[in-house]
Amino acid sequence: MKIISVEDIILGLLFFSIFIFTSCRKESDLVVVYTTVDQVFSEQVLKKFEAQSKVKVKALYDTEETKSTGILNRLLAEKNNPQCDVFWSGDPVRTVILENERMLQPYISKSAKGINKQFKDKNHLWTGFSARARVLIYNKDLLKDTEVPKSIFDLAKDKYNGKVAIANPLFGTTTFHIAALFTIIGDNKAKDFLQKLKNNNIIIATSNGDVKKRVINGEAACGLTDTDDAFEALNEGNNIGIVFLDQNGIGSLIMPNTVSLIKKKYISENAKKLIDFLLSKETESELSFSCAQMPLHKGVKTAKNIPSPDKIKAMKIDYISTAKKLKEIQNYLKKWVEN
Amino acid sequence: MGRKLIKYPIYSITLVLFLIFIILPVLNSIRIAVLDSHFFENINDIGSDIEFLLLKSSFLSAMVAIISTFFGIVLGFLIYKTSVTYRKYFKIILLIPLFISPYILAVAWKDIFLLFFDKIENTNSVLAIIFVHSTIYIPLSILIIGSALVNVSKHIEESALMITGLRKMFTGILLPLIKPAILSSLVLIFIFSISEFSVPAYFGVKVFTTEIFTQFSAFYNYNLAMLHSSLLIVVCVLFLVSERKYIADSPFLSVGTRGKTTKIYALGHYKNTGFSLLVSSTFIMIIFPFLMLIYQSFEKGTDSFVKAMELLVPTFGNSLFLALTGSVFTLIIGFVSAYFSIIYRKILLDNLLLFTFAIPSIIIGISLIKFYNTPYLNGIYSGFWIIIIGYVAKYGFIPAKLLENAIKQLPKSLNEVAIIQGIGFTKRIFFIIIPLILPSIFAAFIINFLFCLSDLGTTIMVYPPGTEIMPIKVFTIMANAPQSLTDSMVLIVFIFTMLIISLLFFIFKKIFTSYNVNY
Repeated sequence: MKIISVEDIILGLLFFSIFIFTSCRKESDLVVVYTTVDQVFSEQVLKKFEAQSKVKVKALYDTEETKSTGILNRLLAEKNNPQCDVFWSGDPVRTVILENERMLQPYISKSAKGINKQFKDKNHLWTGFSARARVLIYNKDLLKDTEVPKSIFDLAKDKYNGKVAIANPLFGTTTFHIAALFTIIGDNKAKDFLQKLKNNNIIIATSNGDVKKRVINGEAACGLTDTDDAFEALNEGNNIGIVFLDQNGIGSLIMPNTVSLIKKKYISENAKKLIDFLLSKETESELSFSCAQMPLHKGVKTAKNIPSPDKIKAMKIDYISTAKKLKEIQNYLKKWVEN
Repeated sequence: MGRKLIKYPIYSITLVLFLIFIILPVLNSIRIAVLDSHFFENINDIGSDIEFLLLKSSFLSAMVAIISTFFGIVLGFLIYKTSVTYRKYFKIILLIPLFISPYILAVAWKDIFLLFFDKIENTNSVLAIIFVHSTIYIPLSILIIGSALVNVSKHIEESALMITGLRKMFTGILLPLIKPAILSSLVLIFIFSISEFSVPAYFGVKVFTTEIFTQFSAFYNYNLAMLHSSLLIVVCVLFLVSERKYIADSPFLSVGTRGKTTKIYALGHYKNTGFSLLVSSTFIMIIFPFLMLIYQSFEKGTDSFVKAMELLVPTFGNSLFLALTGSVFTLIIGFVSAYFSIIYRKILLDNLLLFTFAIPSIIIGISLIKFYNTPYLNGIYSGFWIIIIGYVAKYGFIPAKLLENAIKQLPKSLNEVAIIQGIGFTKRIFFIIIPLILPSIFAAFIINFLFCLSDLGTTIMVYPPGTEIMPIKVFTIMANAPQSLTDSMVLIVFIFTMLIISLLFFIFKKIFTSYNVNY
């Protein structure tokens, strides 16, 4: 009885052995990091760590197209068998989501001693470093210095009708900014403000980068974005200005990067080494020069024009409760965007 | 004695592997969604809003499919069946939009639109989506229709021309003969367009896919997203099944036999018109967006281009390897499916390929993670095989579809005579079937190579940490890079892809020449 020829079996075995061989390479001295921080900035930090520690870094970066949510979706999908050792997030929101999913492992890094406890999780599940702030950027050809809004609430005024851009508040740091507003001024006032913005024909851009672009090309006179986007636009030589809003009021939102250890069966020492490195003054200095982030350690060498968080009036928020508020208002924000 | 235990071993093994490697993970995801405690709540969430969105997306995609296929027929005819000047160059040049991610073309086109309009209002945004999607998918239609046109025997055309004029021959003979390809073009483009979310998202238009994306990325509600996706899958499968039924009922089909090359028409008085049409299409589909990209790349010198090159060089080897491996695997599975479904009516594999093709990339990605990310299957999950599995799931249907059409154009008697003559299966495949459908094999290979090379949706979900892949690198870098750097990277991707495609054309041309096939 002819079933399958000998040649077929040999071919099948050959294919199978190639499959197994190519699938089972194992490297020991490495660390796997997932980061939502833009690759242009995070990659050079990770390469520096590789050079110093001789530990190979395998990194996953996020994309603009997926609004920096691809990595988090992947982490959540991998929950039962995490591949990642260290999660480096550009903001605390995504880290808190992982915390709620019980995917984080406590770790106290010696490098974080100089960082204010306001930027650390009380259970040591994550630690903040190098912060960004939410700022207003404006096109100097379209707005004179005297016409520039000083408060976020000014954006609802008639004179800015159709001239203000904001990224889709369902995603990224804009969500966090809006959630922070809700926690500071209360739900009713925040909803009222958002409605006024909507009535004032606010432009909803796809991302903070898109806000930056629309302000540069004059489609919007001003817009809310993060300091890294704003300083990037400035460094590119565009005729724009940057304003920290509400310095006489509720303050500007400050968002630190966060780093956390992923809970898994075997915690690698390399992961701890990487966390220590990320929380060091050296990394904060590097991020200050590369993407205008504000160090949370004292006495860090920074790039020109980078303000110290001490010199900015910051919104007084608790990151955990803001992240909870964010979840509460998501449906409302979806309707706000769509209507 | 002599009876085989497995009647069709190659088909059965391919089917079993596909079931294990791809269908099981998808079924696992469906199981999770159905067993979710909020399942009935999620079902109730599918209200009139969602139905409206699905209708809106279907309308948009139908427009894109009709426009793209119309231009695909016209341009495909000009390039593949006429002696229009520089047709060989247009064959490659007009493929360019397929190399570039829809998102990047959307960015380039929006910059162009903004040169003429202060703002892009909502109605204009909808038109912009139709326009951008059409420019992206016209090349796909040209390839599908072109490969069918060159498979038509010149004897049929010459016989027809003896009794009627060119116009009647075109509408009465040629178009009916390539009807399967026209339908495939319509249906494939409809599915690609309805599943694509980055262009509508960039133009700020809410469609069905942006709603699915929001459920995933803002609410992290996989199960609701899965449920919404299932509606999309149903629509896509319905289209594909109806198309298949229509083709199966068609009373035509032509013959393209070895040694009988395709007929090339001289355009005579219309030569300049044909050439102008190709040049204007090239300008609209390629030159304008690329001029914008080139201008923005070099606006402030060559530094960005140099930097982009440094960033992308390490990705070339991996990307090429993955795209070639992916296109070879998808071609093999597509051929097996097409051959057995047409010759032996074994349609299960074909239907499964259709099913996975209709599933959005992000669902494929999450299904693969949930299934393969276990300590036992880590070998697959942490290596490049997971990406290849993703490619096969997502793109295996395309070669199956194209090759089915090509195999249908062959006379059944060829296979029957070969069997009667005692020619074995392997010889029949390699010495009869493959040489006769080489143009379609080439088209299927090139299309899938391009899709694998530029795939983002599935790859971003499953690519192993530390792996450098070209589209991933472009998109991760563009998140906060200066516009000039992003545009430079796109240009380099384009140049790299053009070089590879040209090389593939050269290799296949040699193969075609040895088989005496005109393409």
